[in-house]
Amino acid sequence: MFSRLIGGSKMLLGLHKPRRSLKIWPDDIFLVSFPKSGNTWTRFLIANLVFPDAPVGFKNIHKLVPDPYGTSKRDMERMARPRIIKSHECFEPRYPRVMYIVRDPRDVVISQYHYHRKCKKIEDGYPMEKFVDRFVAGDTCPHGSWGENVGTWLTARHNDPRFLLLKYEDMVADTQRELGRVAAFVGIKADSERIAKAVERSSADRMRKLERAQADECGLTKDSRKDLSFVRAAKSGSWQKDLSEPLVAKIEDAWPQLMVFLGYKLVTRGTAGQPAEFSSLVSSGV
Amino acid sequence: MLKRFIVGAERVLGFHAPGRNVAVFPDDTFLVSYPKSGNTWARFLIANLLHPQADIDFSNVNRMIPGIEVTRNRDLIRTPRPRVVKSHQYFDPRYPRVIYIVRDPRDVVISQYHFQRKRKVVDDQFPLSEYVGRFVSGQTSFYGSWGEHVASWLATRHGRPGFLLLRYEDMVEDTPRELSKIAAFLGVASTPETILQAVERSSADRMRTLEKSQAQLFSSTKNTRQDIAFVRAAKAGGWRSSLPEEHALQLDEAWAPLIRWLGYETVLADKEPVPEDQHAGLFVGERP
Repeated sequence: MFSRLIGGSKMLLGLHKPRRSLKIWPDDIFLVSFPKSGNTWTRFLIANLVFPDAPVGFKNIHKLVPDPYGTSKRDMERMARPRIIKSHECFEPRYPRVMYIVRDPRDVVISQYHYHRKCKKIEDGYPMEKFVDRFVAGDTCPHGSWGENVGTWLTARHNDPRFLLLKYEDMVADTQRELGRVAAFVGIKADSERIAKAVERSSADRMRKLERAQADECGLTKDSRKDLSFVRAAKSGSWQKDLSEPLVAKIEDAWPQLMVFLGYKLVTRGTAGQPAEFSSLVSSGV
Repeated sequence: MLKRFIVGAERVLGFHAPGRNVAVFPDDTFLVSYPKSGNTWARFLIANLLHPQADIDFSNVNRMIPGIEVTRNRDLIRTPRPRVVKSHQYFDPRYPRVIYIVRDPRDVVISQYHFQRKRKVVDDQFPLSEYVGRFVSGQTSFYGSWGEHVASWLATRHGRPGFLLLRYEDMVEDTPRELSKIAAFLGVASTPETILQAVERSSADRMRTLEKSQAQLFSSTKNTRQDIAFVRAAKAGGWRSSLPEEHALQLDEAWAPLIRWLGYETVLADKEPVPEDQHAGLFVGERP
């Protein structure tokens, strides 16, 4: 009852996190991904692009590219519009426009494993095999499995003008080019100089430095182990050395069609069966 | 400010319907469908099956099978477990077990059009052509478009344990058979007699009679036009006579692969044949 009273009072003042009750405006743009797929990096890239004069860092990212689970309702409603909002939700038809980042699930699982160690959800010796089983079952986060999260968005919005698909691997390979696509989608006229500056200000090295200085001022890193960093390798393909073949096979067996569709080459299976075809499935209606 | 105070107070007391924020228990089963796809009928069937001693009607069905969009949070939390919970939500990864009812979208659009007339959302003169356009783009409900809704569940859960896909049309064709599937899925002991009894107690005729005297006691019929019935035709395929072909085509064009995958005939097929394998790789698991 007491905690409910606090909840009710916070609600009265608008200090609560709106979460799934977020009021959505027609000009909102959402930055969506399964957790550990490069969302925070992309938030930095976008914040540096949109607010070239702001000192973008971990302590203010929640106010620049807000998170309905981390930013208060009041702050969400007082922001300049159009808002660019971070989210990890599975398909949400109320989101007017969406940039969706997808990352190779074999890398995602490693990143999530270390993040859970950092957040003290698992111990250092926690068997990777057990974690992979839980990952495949969608049991490592509240946003569905990797396949559910990616699958619902592709099924509903692939090839839709309201949807921009970004691959983490492409972003690593050519950040400048991919941020250019983001700028065009968001409707920011940015020359290559402005884009290059945003890329540089969001580099892994710079983010690591900011993390060291501001870890206690950001919900993403507060109350977690400081001997493990939030900004980790910032690379793609490390599963090839960090994940044993049987564990790779478990992931590939879970979502073969989806992985092939996205261009993630399977190494433990001969065929993916019929490739998934998302483009003609659901009309955009626009 | 006053409004916020009321919302805050309602929340403290648990008087709000939680909707998408509902607290999920690990032993929950959710009865999910796009609106106007036979969900209320299925609730009657299941409630009558689970509670053969009770007299299920519009006044108590919300208590037996609570709905996250209509039932107060405190009542949802106090519902005896394991719960069967009604929901119109598009994919929610938290639902442990799901009975999903799908219905031919060409019948859904007609049913929804009349329901919106009943609820005074559209007036009698509202052109059906405009309604179909809004239906296709998902503007007629809070739950996405029909295609988005159906695809979000099929792409994630179909062919996996804990998911039962039912077609409204099969339920109309052989209600005892389909209700037996539900009973098996819920792990409820049933005999042909108990199934038949639940089917009879949930017949369209009986529901129509109940509606006449209980319209003000049920969330979906309260404060709506009483000259239009909530329990309408209760048939499958009505669109063939009441939906002009141009509108049927509009729906086909939006969702042909999905419509075909579900085993519904398309109007398009006669006009431009589509290869049979177009829908083969859509989802994991058997076509219904």
